[in-house]
Amino acid sequence: MSVQHRKSSALTLATMLLLLFVIVGCSNTGSGDESSSAASDQTSTKSITMSWPRDIGTMNPHTYNPSQLFAQSMLYEPLISYQKDGKLEPALAESWTISDDGKVYTFKLRQGVKFSDGTPFNAEIVKKNFDAVMKNKDTHSWLGIVGVLDKTEVVDDQTFRMTLTEPYYPVLQDLSVVRPFRFLGEAGFPDDGDTSQGIKEPVGTGPWMLAEYKQDEYAVFKRNPNYWGTAPKVDQITVKIIPDGETRVLAFEKGDLDLIYGEGMISLDAFQELRDNDKYVTQLSDPVGTRSLLLNSSNPKLSDVRVRMALQQGFNKKAMVEGVTSGLEEPADTVLSKNYPYTNVDLEPITYDVEKSKALLDEAGWKLPAGGTVREKDGQQLDFEMIFDKTDPIQKAMAETIQAEWSELGVKVNLTGLELTVQIKRLKANGFDLYFWYNYGAPYDPHSFINVVASPGFGISETLSALPMKKELDDQVHAALSSTDETKRQELYGSILKTLQEQSAIVPISYIKKTAVYQKKISNFIFPANRDENPFVGIELGNQ
Amino acid sequence: MISYIGKRMIAIIPIVFIATLVTFALIHISPVDPAEAYLTAAHIYPTPELLAQKRHEFGLDQPLLTQYAHTIQKITKLDFGTSYLTNKPVWDEVKLRLPATAELAFWSMLLSALVSIPLGILAAVYKNSWIDMISRAISYFGASIPQFWLGYLLIFFFSVKLDWLPVEGRGSWENLVLPTITLSLILIAVYTRLLRSSVLEQLQETYVQYARTRGIRERVIMLKHVLKIAISPLITGMGMSMGKLLTGTIIVEQVFSWPGFGRYFVDAIFNRDIPVIQCYVFLAACLFIVCNLLVDLVQLVMDPRISAKGRAEH
Repeated sequence: MSVQHRKSSALTLATMLLLLFVIVGCSNTGSGDESSSAASDQTSTKSITMSWPRDIGTMNPHTYNPSQLFAQSMLYEPLISYQKDGKLEPALAESWTISDDGKVYTFKLRQGVKFSDGTPFNAEIVKKNFDAVMKNKDTHSWLGIVGVLDKTEVVDDQTFRMTLTEPYYPVLQDLSVVRPFRFLGEAGFPDDGDTSQGIKEPVGTGPWMLAEYKQDEYAVFKRNPNYWGTAPKVDQITVKIIPDGETRVLAFEKGDLDLIYGEGMISLDAFQELRDNDKYVTQLSDPVGTRSLLLNSSNPKLSDVRVRMALQQGFNKKAMVEGVTSGLEEPADTVLSKNYPYTNVDLEPITYDVEKSKALLDEAGWKLPAGGTVREKDGQQLDFEMIFDKTDPIQKAMAETIQAEWSELGVKVNLTGLELTVQIKRLKANGFDLYFWYNYGAPYDPHSFINVVASPGFGISETLSALPMKKELDDQVHAALSSTDETKRQELYGSILKTLQEQSAIVPISYIKKTAVYQKKISNFIFPANRDENPFVGIELGNQ
Repeated sequence: MISYIGKRMIAIIPIVFIATLVTFALIHISPVDPAEAYLTAAHIYPTPELLAQKRHEFGLDQPLLTQYAHTIQKITKLDFGTSYLTNKPVWDEVKLRLPATAELAFWSMLLSALVSIPLGILAAVYKNSWIDMISRAISYFGASIPQFWLGYLLIFFFSVKLDWLPVEGRGSWENLVLPTITLSLILIAVYTRLLRSSVLEQLQETYVQYARTRGIRERVIMLKHVLKIAISPLITGMGMSMGKLLTGTIIVEQVFSWPGFGRYFVDAIFNRDIPVIQCYVFLAACLFIVCNLLVDLVQLVMDPRISAKGRAEH
């Protein structure tokens, strides 16, 4: 073979190679995103495309994972809706009365409500849903009302009544949560009525209906033509399932997505970058929960309030929160933020004061030995293990900051990064010294919070177990949960929160917020007061 | 040959058996209690009563041997139980996702073969020329760049900046382009170098010199003689990659929101969805064995020497 020949055949091969790259790489220059049939036809209808990291799930109103709360709340409605500052407003129940002993709740149902398939919403179907939920009581035992619900009755077509075994004031709050007490239409029920094993179809009374769905790929929600309330301003919400945060941001920048919202949907860096870009709008919600550090009082070293107080005073919370979260979280002075009912209580903030902190440790008998760096008492070092979720970059950075700051005080912290499941296991088994913990948010708090303060098994009651007034605290919690007197309840909450603040066993670090990023064509985006509800009802679309 | 295939098929059984045993053991050694994992995944508070009830339901209160026998018995019927998370039969869920992964695997394999075979040959024939340099550059790049990073880069340029291709999802051939390139690049890197070195090796062989002296045209020597032998390690490599691609290209599926098997498995790990994990390990073992077998069969057909050896030995 001549050199010439060899070169020409090589050239042919190289050309083929190049051609292949061209064919594969430069495939399409215009049509963009035809593939997602779901996301197309946006021109004729007013449509919003957003993304979610997980598939929306089976859309069963009475079960949990893998159904996503925001999507369930688009289809199914509660009797009562939770609004800003904990105000309870009529939803499917137009009004309600509570007997004097706080045990009988009678609900007048809203007239003229229909399910998306046109069937009527009445007391009969309300009872059927309650019965389906209560059939699997164990599954729902985390919700206070489930433990005290005695019986349900249909009084007449539009009146539903339930009786409790004992008074429990947060009944209405519990009814406003997204699951399990929401209402599935008759057509959705399986033949045996047991929804825990699955439903026939997702039929609800909510403003949206599930119109198109491809598991793990997308879901399209359209307006429910039979909706009783104010119809949403957009016709369609498309939810694309994008598990990766960075991809989500890229899809948003390309314009495939109109909206990204939620908790931890995108990295803090990405959020900041989008916030600095004039093309987009960003929003931060009110606090939805508190990031706290539990100081386990059942550990003898931490049983001394002076040590706990010294630890809380011994790190610069404000600088840490701003540094680690770039100001996306707000430093927290109290365990519960003040946007819940009963929590607007005057509590003395515990401020950063290294000198005071050192003095407290000295006072508690933990002295720095000559030439040493770790405080000692009775031959023991002042050291702790701090466990954190190793997949959570914020927890890790905070743990490292606290470790560094406390070492200046002469307190040694050993960091242990764990998988979340193992971390939770350690919490429940009371096998920890220091632990990052979050409360539940609205509408679960403040009553769920005080409930875990007093109930063993969740890790919090155990954390507080060595407080001298623990028994009293528990009694106050029980009294608050069963009290029918608003003023007394406020008093009890005030006292509980004050004790917790003074005891410093749950150290508030920061208030977590939801983030939202959207294209300018979207307006009137408001975070729902209920942490788990969808924010789509008020959204409007301009002609950007 | 048929008896060879038959014997190889039978050999699959003990390997799969060992794979199931290892999975079973790992799940039992793991600190996570399957009953607790189930309740946690379903967001049910694990009270001691509920835990006991679930353990009984899952047969976890039975002796280990009985549990294992039961597992094997179910696997033979392709019954991998019900997913803790979705409450649906695992096998149905897997069947739903396998085609997506297979699609991606097929195109990645095809693209990498189409690019690396000519590139590897050219790099060997024109050793130290510009084309060899290019192939080396591609190989270094492909082998060293993390796949997720490459994925983001491709999305950034081709989707966000140039607006040529969709960012994510599955549906049309356009969605396939970027994940396929992402997956192929590392394969191209490996295959090209593999082929280059084995072609170079063959070119040194005396039969090539002999053929040249006989005046056989270079192209014929290349295609009929050298390539036939030189391609053998490549086929082995491709077989192994096929197994890897089919068990889910986890990172790429995640980056491109590809609704495949790998992504399903990642979710299962996060949720401690043990039936899914068990099914995955079982399938992965089977897929690797089958791919391995296919490689051997192709080699058998291509190289009569192996064939003769195979017949003689088996």
